[in-house]
Amino acid sequence: MRLTRLGGSMASEEGWQMTLKAKSEVIRIGAEAIVSKLEWNGFKLVSKHRVPKPYRMPELDKWVRERRTLHEAKIISDLKKAGVPCPAVVLMDRDDSTLYIQFIEGSELKKALDELPPKLVESVARNLGEIVGRMHSNRIAHGDLTTSNILIDRNGKLYLIDFGLSAVTDDLEELAVDIHLLDRSLESAHHPLREKFMKNFLKGYSSIMGRDFTLRIIEKVKEIRRRGRYVEERRRRS
Amino acid sequence: MGKELLVLGIESTAHTLGFGIVSSEGRILANINYTYKPKEGGIHPREAAQHHSAIASTGIAEAFRQAGISPREVDGIAFSVGPGMGPCLRVGATIARTLALKLEKPLIAVNHGVAHIEIGRLVTGCKDPVVLYVAGGNTLITAYMDRRYRIFGETLDIAAGNCLDVFGIKAGIGPMPAPEEYGRRGRRFHPLPYKVKGMDVSFSGLLTAALRMLKEGVALEDLCLSITETVYSMLTETLERALAFTEKKEILLVGGLARSKRLKEMVDAMAELHGAGVYVVPPEYAGDNGAMIAWTGVLQLMAGQTTPIEQSRVRPRYRLDETDAAWREHGL
Repeated sequence: MRLTRLGGSMASEEGWQMTLKAKSEVIRIGAEAIVSKLEWNGFKLVSKHRVPKPYRMPELDKWVRERRTLHEAKIISDLKKAGVPCPAVVLMDRDDSTLYIQFIEGSELKKALDELPPKLVESVARNLGEIVGRMHSNRIAHGDLTTSNILIDRNGKLYLIDFGLSAVTDDLEELAVDIHLLDRSLESAHHPLREKFMKNFLKGYSSIMGRDFTLRIIEKVKEIRRRGRYVEERRRRS
Repeated sequence: MGKELLVLGIESTAHTLGFGIVSSEGRILANINYTYKPKEGGIHPREAAQHHSAIASTGIAEAFRQAGISPREVDGIAFSVGPGMGPCLRVGATIARTLALKLEKPLIAVNHGVAHIEIGRLVTGCKDPVVLYVAGGNTLITAYMDRRYRIFGETLDIAAGNCLDVFGIKAGIGPMPAPEEYGRRGRRFHPLPYKVKGMDVSFSGLLTAALRMLKEGVALEDLCLSITETVYSMLTETLERALAFTEKKEILLVGGLARSKRLKEMVDAMAELHGAGVYVVPPEYAGDNGAMIAWTGVLQLMAGQTTPIEQSRVRPRYRLDETDAAWREHGL
């Protein structure tokens, strides 16, 4: 067993594994991973286990799951260095393709947005723009940036989650897809807020990325929208 | 429904010129197909078009003879309007317009990709599948949703079949199914770029890497095993995502690569996890053929979708999701 605690060595590996597995509660079953909530020594954690696929030959299956787990951990670690708020990876079990991630006490922006006071919506949107700008300035595209993958805690602090489809990229289109997906998720679930939200989001975004880049990416978002490829349908649940 | 309708369908998107006659009961009365085989290399569009023109009148006569009906008895003339090679498409379109005018029957423009799916639904009996369309030139995952065959995933560069064919040819063993057969004797798996982005896939990096490893002396059988396993796993995984997303219970495999035994095995294993049924189009209707155009023509005719001559220009880049699949709303 190769259980790694990021940033330190670890005693009695078997013991950790046992207690981690003992009290977990499944909170989401995706096409690729099972996400569970668990508690370990008073810490609330979330585990993301990439499940084996019986149709892939075992060597390939293991390689793919391990590589994706490492990729996600790497992206999260890069984002934390760049000051993008996201839950930290606390432990990684490479052999089991499982990440143990800090649990955030908060709710999905999707659910919280309609109850926020109007003044707060503006500052949240602007703050989100800054966060996404910081992520993009590090050439990282989230890949599935909908309001379901943004958490907000009691103090109004935002966190990005689920980097399963993220990529390091120089392609403007991949970055633009993030903004497109965010816009479409607002359009479908929070229509009355959408315009004000996006206006403030772009203010925050351009304060990080600059006016010229922001105008270029807005053009790209419009182009993606015109193509109407149902990108959001295709990515939402993968 | 009243009288049984009959439609003549003409296929000419690429190397195949086909004529089919199908009834509104789904009876396939005729399916006559001629394939242009280039002496060397790939298809030259103009030479293929010349082949099609030369054989056309024989083919039409043969189709009506096989069906045992006279041209006056058909209720519509369908043709593949795209996507495909311009010169080839124009041969089929010209024949269709001429026949429609001469016989005074409605003209029906059909999307070639939609026709592959519809003939698959007809001959396998599945109702509402997620479709994996894998052929030499196509790799996409589609399902019907809200009046259209929506594209849930597709290749971002080359087609899956193309990737395996090119590898086989460059390795000196020839196109599919050779790489899969050699792969069965492979012992060691070598990781190759496994590129799945959401429901999209990419194969060009994988092909380059495999060819490089071949040059470096990796055993051919092992490479064949690695490349086929990787390509099929990517396809099966994206198909699984589309299945989970759409919550459909049927999978339809369409196109030349659907003949692969190993791919079918993997899709079966995946489908079992989701309690879904797997359907494969039999070989005679898997490749390009006239019957698929005729049957889709029947569906469109019943949904009232005919095409005025002046709007019957061919569409070489006609996307699958641009077709209004109105017949599906009528339960057809």
